[in-house]
Amino acid sequence: MSSRRHFNPWAFVLPGVIAGGVILGVPVVQALWTSLHRLRLYRLHDQVWVGLDNYLRLWQDPLFHLSIRSTVVFTLGCTVLSVIAGLAVASVMSTRGIRGTTAARFFMAFYLVPFVATQVVVGMMGRLYVWEPEYGLVNYVLAAFGIDGPMWLISQDTAMWATIITNTWRLTPLAVLIFYAALATVPEELLESAEVDGAGGWKAFVQIKLPMIRYHIGFIALIQLTSAFREFDTVFALTGGGPGRATNVLSLLVYNEGISAANLGMANAISFTMLIIVAVISLIYMRLARLGELGQ
Amino acid sequence: MRSARAYKWLGGGGLALRYLFLIAWMLICIMPVVLLLMGSLKDTALFQSVPQILSFSGFTLDNYTQSFQQGNYLHFLRNSLIISFSALAVVLVVCTPMAYGITKLASPKTRNLIVFSVLATRFLPYVVLALPMYLFFARIGLQGTIVGVVLAHLAMQMPFIVWLMLGFFAGIPHEVEEAAVIDGASPFGVFWRICLPMVLPGLNASAILAFIISYNEFLFAFFLAGYDAQPLTVGITRFVGGADVGAQYGVVAAYGTLIILPIIIFALIVNRYIVSGMTAGAVKG
Repeated sequence: MSSRRHFNPWAFVLPGVIAGGVILGVPVVQALWTSLHRLRLYRLHDQVWVGLDNYLRLWQDPLFHLSIRSTVVFTLGCTVLSVIAGLAVASVMSTRGIRGTTAARFFMAFYLVPFVATQVVVGMMGRLYVWEPEYGLVNYVLAAFGIDGPMWLISQDTAMWATIITNTWRLTPLAVLIFYAALATVPEELLESAEVDGAGGWKAFVQIKLPMIRYHIGFIALIQLTSAFREFDTVFALTGGGPGRATNVLSLLVYNEGISAANLGMANAISFTMLIIVAVISLIYMRLARLGELGQ
Repeated sequence: MRSARAYKWLGGGGLALRYLFLIAWMLICIMPVVLLLMGSLKDTALFQSVPQILSFSGFTLDNYTQSFQQGNYLHFLRNSLIISFSALAVVLVVCTPMAYGITKLASPKTRNLIVFSVLATRFLPYVVLALPMYLFFARIGLQGTIVGVVLAHLAMQMPFIVWLMLGFFAGIPHEVEEAAVIDGASPFGVFWRICLPMVLPGLNASAILAFIISYNEFLFAFFLAGYDAQPLTVGITRFVGGADVGAQYGVVAAYGTLIILPIIIFALIVNRYIVSGMTAGAVKG
């Protein structure tokens, strides 16, 4: 029974590594390979090598540039808003008199609703009941304050904002949850001694709490950034990329090229460009995070 | 110092104000769903104003009857449940031993490399995978099947579940395992009889989150499932896109409610596992 003594952990690790490697690795290689060909959706046997032609055409395509711009605005908007909203809600939840109470647990349960809500339904719900200009919830609330709300999803100027806010609604629960748990690790004595020194409230928040959970803020920001960058379901169901091309983020562009325009070569070229963008962002981000650690 | 004043108003301000803020946020979280639910119960060929939707009158179940009959709700529900439970099972069977094995790797360098590689796949944009997966699965005969969707869900969930379980396995004290080995337990016995019971809260959280994520997933199912394999998320887009629904928003609302309400109620019931699961990996003391 030599297996008793010589336990090889690889026996546990490898099945997962192989499964993940095949299911993810093959499509990534396939994406690169297809992006170098001309391939139409309904004529899969007719594959013609075109080299970097798809990429060259892509870089000259104004629609691609527009998509890049929408994606940057959408991704940054969702990330910043969800981190700020998450911090605000979590810090109020963490104040003395609320943290740890039954009420706090009750609130937290309902704060998770957007997190578990099916994205395609969120999109449809947003279109029909939240952003509808005449009857929707947002303009109803705005009207109560005497504000004449905009056309939201129907107008090219406001559609992106409505889309960002809808997706932020979905992303914020994760931030609230993680920040709330992280804020619990800030020692109470530290806050009390700071208060004695005259640093209470806002000062204590900026100078003590925020620095102490900066790792978590960075972590959540990265998660939200990548989630928003690849978001498809919500935008697809909410706007379908419209009106016009106002919310046509890259993941929708891939779909439009690949399925609607049946141009698989071009769609995979866009895909692979997305992959490069996300790899570069992650690397820069991790480099920055490491520099931050060294600075300590 | 506007923000300082705002902070004082919220953080330093009265308890009542802080509760008001939290209640306002709760309304933001649930109001859209409440409107969807109430809208689905109204006889609406046309839009209604917010107070009309929320009023307790004019209830009807017509929208639901249509969702079941024309919308083929049960067909898609069945597929949704098959996909979610299969994905849950496959994800747990693959990822739990994987996370355990990773914590047992001797070289810290290899360990970090594996952890990093697994976590890095979380950043892959799904749409990048879905299209070539379609071509790949078509070649090996999995295109259109539930198996293909489940495999895609396994790859999609692996980084998150492995990361979650790593946090739980790392929390097991060495002495416990050593004691078991001295008592003559085999390595698999240590994993199966000693460690697994100790990470049971983590397994619960993983199972619940894996189920919810698979149930809600649309993109892979949309690209990879044929009609016989399509779940509810694809079903509703087919149904709403169909000409027979037209502008009957109540029917859309009913179908949406039938998808979203069960998962929300489920999440509220098991809420404490979701909270512990999602915070365990990210926040350690």
